[in-house]
Amino acid sequence: MNEITTSEFVRSLLAVLLGGGGVYLMLPKGVSGISPRRGFGAGSAAFALALLISATFWSPPGAGLSRAFFVLFGLTSIASGTLMITARDPVHSALWFAAVVLSTAGLFLIAGAQFLAAGTVIVYAGAIIVTFLFVIMLAQMEGKASYDRSARAPGRSVLSCFLLMWALAYALISMRSDARATVEGGSARLLADERILIPTPSITRVGNSPPQSGLSEVLRRASRPTAQLPERSNPAGPHVAGLGATLFADHLIAVELAGGLLFIALVGAIAIATPKPPIRPVVRVASPPANAPRL
Amino acid sequence: MAASDWFGFDNLTSFLLIGAALFALGMLGFIARRNLIVMFLSAEMMLQGVALTLVGFGRYHGNWTGQVFTIVILTVAACEASIALALTLVLFNRRLSLDVSLWSEIHEPDAATPVDTLDPEPSETHSGPESYPHLIPAGAEPPHPRQPWIERRE
Amino acid sequence: MHGSFLVRNCWLVPFFPLAGAVAAAIGGKRLGASAHIPVVIGIGLAFLVSLGLLGAAGADSTTVLFDWMNAGGLRVPVEFRVDGLSTMMLSMVTFVATLVAVFAVGYMAGDPAYPRFFACVGLFVFMMTGLVLSNNYVLTYVFWEGVGVCSYLLIGFWYAKPAAAAAAKKAFLVNRVGDFGFAIAIFWLWTVANNHDLSYSVVLDPANLKLIRPEAIFGISLLLLWAATAKSAQVPLYVWLPDAMEGPTPVSALIHAATMVTAGVYLIARSMPMISSDPRVLAIISLVGGITAALAAAIAITQTDLKRVMAYSTVSQLGYMFMALGAGVGSVAQLAVVAAMFHLFTHAFFKALLFLSSGSVMHAMGGVIDMRKFGGLRRKLPVTCATFAVGGLALAGVFPFAGFWSKDEILAALKLASEVSGGAEGTGWGWVYGLVYWVAVVTAGLTALYTGRAFFLTFFGPERLPTAEDLAAAGHGSHDDAHTNEHGHGHDDAHGHDTHIGHESPLIMTFPLVALATCAVGVGLLFGPTGIFEGHLEHTLGFENLGHAEHGTDWNSILIGTFAALFGLALSYPLFALPSRIPSILATRLGMLYRASLNKFYIDEIYAAVIVAPLSFLAQLSKFADVYIVDGLVRLIAKLPRALSRSALAPYQNGLIQFYAAAGVLGLAALLAILLLI
Repeated sequence: MNEITTSEFVRSLLAVLLGGGGVYLMLPKGVSGISPRRGFGAGSAAFALALLISATFWSPPGAGLSRAFFVLFGLTSIASGTLMITARDPVHSALWFAAVVLSTAGLFLIAGAQFLAAGTVIVYAGAIIVTFLFVIMLAQMEGKASYDRSARAPGRSVLSCFLLMWALAYALISMRSDARATVEGGSARLLADERILIPTPSITRVGNSPPQSGLSEVLRRASRPTAQLPERSNPAGPHVAGLGATLFADHLIAVELAGGLLFIALVGAIAIATPKPPIRPVVRVASPPANAPRL
Repeated sequence: MAASDWFGFDNLTSFLLIGAALFALGMLGFIARRNLIVMFLSAEMMLQGVALTLVGFGRYHGNWTGQVFTIVILTVAACEASIALALTLVLFNRRLSLDVSLWSEIHEPDAATPVDTLDPEPSETHSGPESYPHLIPAGAEPPHPRQPWIERRE
Repeated sequence: MHGSFLVRNCWLVPFFPLAGAVAAAIGGKRLGASAHIPVVIGIGLAFLVSLGLLGAAGADSTTVLFDWMNAGGLRVPVEFRVDGLSTMMLSMVTFVATLVAVFAVGYMAGDPAYPRFFACVGLFVFMMTGLVLSNNYVLTYVFWEGVGVCSYLLIGFWYAKPAAAAAAKKAFLVNRVGDFGFAIAIFWLWTVANNHDLSYSVVLDPANLKLIRPEAIFGISLLLLWAATAKSAQVPLYVWLPDAMEGPTPVSALIHAATMVTAGVYLIARSMPMISSDPRVLAIISLVGGITAALAAAIAITQTDLKRVMAYSTVSQLGYMFMALGAGVGSVAQLAVVAAMFHLFTHAFFKALLFLSSGSVMHAMGGVIDMRKFGGLRRKLPVTCATFAVGGLALAGVFPFAGFWSKDEILAALKLASEVSGGAEGTGWGWVYGLVYWVAVVTAGLTALYTGRAFFLTFFGPERLPTAEDLAAAGHGSHDDAHTNEHGHGHDDAHGHDTHIGHESPLIMTFPLVALATCAVGVGLLFGPTGIFEGHLEHTLGFENLGHAEHGTDWNSILIGTFAALFGLALSYPLFALPSRIPSILATRLGMLYRASLNKFYIDEIYAAVIVAPLSFLAQLSKFADVYIVDGLVRLIAKLPRALSRSALAPYQNGLIQFYAAAGVLGLAALLAILLLI
């Protein structure tokens, strides 16, 4: 069975309990004993504590400033997410979501995904958030609606979601403590349990051959089974160039599919959102009898 | 390989933990909030959590596949947002409300219709545009400050 | 022999009627009132080919069309055999069928289902010719079943009439009982046959027959007899045939004369090389035939329905054929088979003639067939009267009509059989044949009596026509209940029975009568004493090995038989032709016997009580078990989840998407927690 220390267990449980209680207090719950403002304050304090406890499980990559930025972005993303789902005003929700996206982009950067970081910021913060705000303003011009001021079954929702979170966290923590023992030769492998046995891929390194250009090479790589993808790309090479090479050669079909999907979504959005004339009831005009004299 | 390039299992776990937290919080928002737009925002946040997980795995395994997946997710998210917002517009035009509770006709005939037992929180006084600074046109008597702002716009 | 052009193309005989039937079935709507043309032409062509085949017949003439089944050790080709027996049957079947079809053109005119009738007739002839031609037991069985199906279709032709539907069902079910015996016989035969080959040439080969255990031969022969009793209407399975006259009269003629009932006799005759090796089976066959002949004749005497008299007469005559087949012991074997087949041959002509004449009477009487309702028709229906008289004389066995020659041969064969098996070196079954011989003689007298009765009641005495009430009760009803006035049976429409009953039938109906009458006079004299028939049958598989001793003309039997026939006829004239009170006095004096005979000796009732009722009870029991136990269990199991979901799960189907999502998350979380903690 998975190894997990008592300290880890208690800490994770505490974090989840505190976080769940805090989020419960923060959610709009309608009329209750506590005033919303006070409940929000107490809840955010509890959640902040839980966030700090959970940060003790993190081991950020890199060194120095990189680690600090990881902790900063991690805390920001989770806190912004919580504020997003508890905000009474959907405009605030959208802005907090923008904060989530920005901090996630920072995490992407730390994980070495520069292109994705930029792409996420551009796509989400630049396009999607703006569209959301547009719709919000179109639909909700005045004040906060009553349905924004009462959550649906907050207790039940918090229970199920934090149970899920705790299960996920427990699995990750216990796997990490197992994997810690099997780190060897600079190559850690996911060997948490014999039940989760990940076979080391025995793949012929196709990337060794000098890269060829031309359509045939692209097609050859695009039609390659997924299992024959290179296990490790060259991380030292030019970053966006490497991503582009693999995106437009190895995953060409996926890219084409994604493009087709976007196009279909475009067509669908236009078809759905275009105002249509109201449906009139069909008025049946009584037809004259068959033997009526014709003029 | 430089030491700072080292990305071990512990580092991966950190990313996964944050991804899991985002995922669960998004789930919570989707379940608990009644505003259609906030529900879609929550769904987008769940996608963010998944994207973070995939990027972390891609970094850990040292290949591009995780990022490619994330790009595909980004595409799907964009598609979903466009369709969902179009639908939201249509639904809003039908009911003039974004409450998801109004869209629950597909239920068992004798099942109790979902009743929101919770009364909404007392609404805080909304600071409308009357609090915005504005210039009084010259030569005109300013309207009475107590007059509602909508009537003052003449 | 194999090279003979005709033998290679003998498949044309079944093919032509089939093609005609298909044409009538497919083009029926378009052809309308001329739907008979393809069928009549098809059967007629089949008859012409059969005539040609008569010359090509040889004991070994076979032709394989294609392999039908080839599975492991079992190889069943579609293989036809053109020998004496089959060509004789073919010519007879197709000839009679052609005339019946021609007759039906007039008889069935105006029927709304005119094309269906001819399609079925064509199919019937196809099945029968196929049965006669096929060269192995499995193929015979296929056509055997096909004949049963066609008889079902035709007896129940007026299916909206309950009596017809019941009769069709009865015929089919009784035949199924016999088919079961045939199927078992084939399975058994397969286990014992040389190389598992079921073709006649292998099974009936004397060298191969010697290899089979006598018990197996005994059992198989009995099972074949069992099959034949159903198809050829013998005791105990004859009950379907009298009811079968519910179908249109041409169908009765076809079934009684040519296509259906002869199949059983043919099967026994075909298997004679095998059966004749066991004297026990032969004695049983003879006994069955004797009982049937006497019983049916006794019933026929009292029936008032003209067609029913003829139906029982058929049963009785088939009994004669079985008597003769059973007489095939030792050296008499060939004589016996020839006598049986000859009687089958002549019987086909005069029975078809009698049935068609009855149909003509019925036609003229507007559908009334009860002999008490009409009489003295000889002036109204001169042609029918004459042809009926010829047929009756032939049936009674009066010199020189056809029945005389064949009946005489049967008597001779029975007598010889009793002598052969009764002697010191005999098999000890001589007493059976002696008994059956006298049964046959008495039955001959009875046959003449009821034939004379039917004839005199119909055509002699004061002239009477059915009254309007009879017509109302039976006219429409007797065979076209199914069709209302506007769609009535042809003659009802065309002539209107109120004013025009009692006319002679049109030429298209009298022509077949005259042709058959000519045959009824001629075929006996032509083929019997001259030895042509016997000579032809010798070209049959295995028949040359049957015992044939020289035998002189048996004058004793001839005299006795003729005397019995004449006595019966002579008795019937004063009783039924002249106004007399003797029949009614006799009926009261012999009250019990009379009633028993009138009610067919209560055989149907006995069957209903002994077989049908227990089975029906069993069926009811099974139905009860099915409805209340099996279905109840199923319904209970079906109710369980429904009740559960209605009360426990339905409330959760509240249409709120967030509720569903929450349930999904909770389930996922619980699953993960269980996986991690346990």
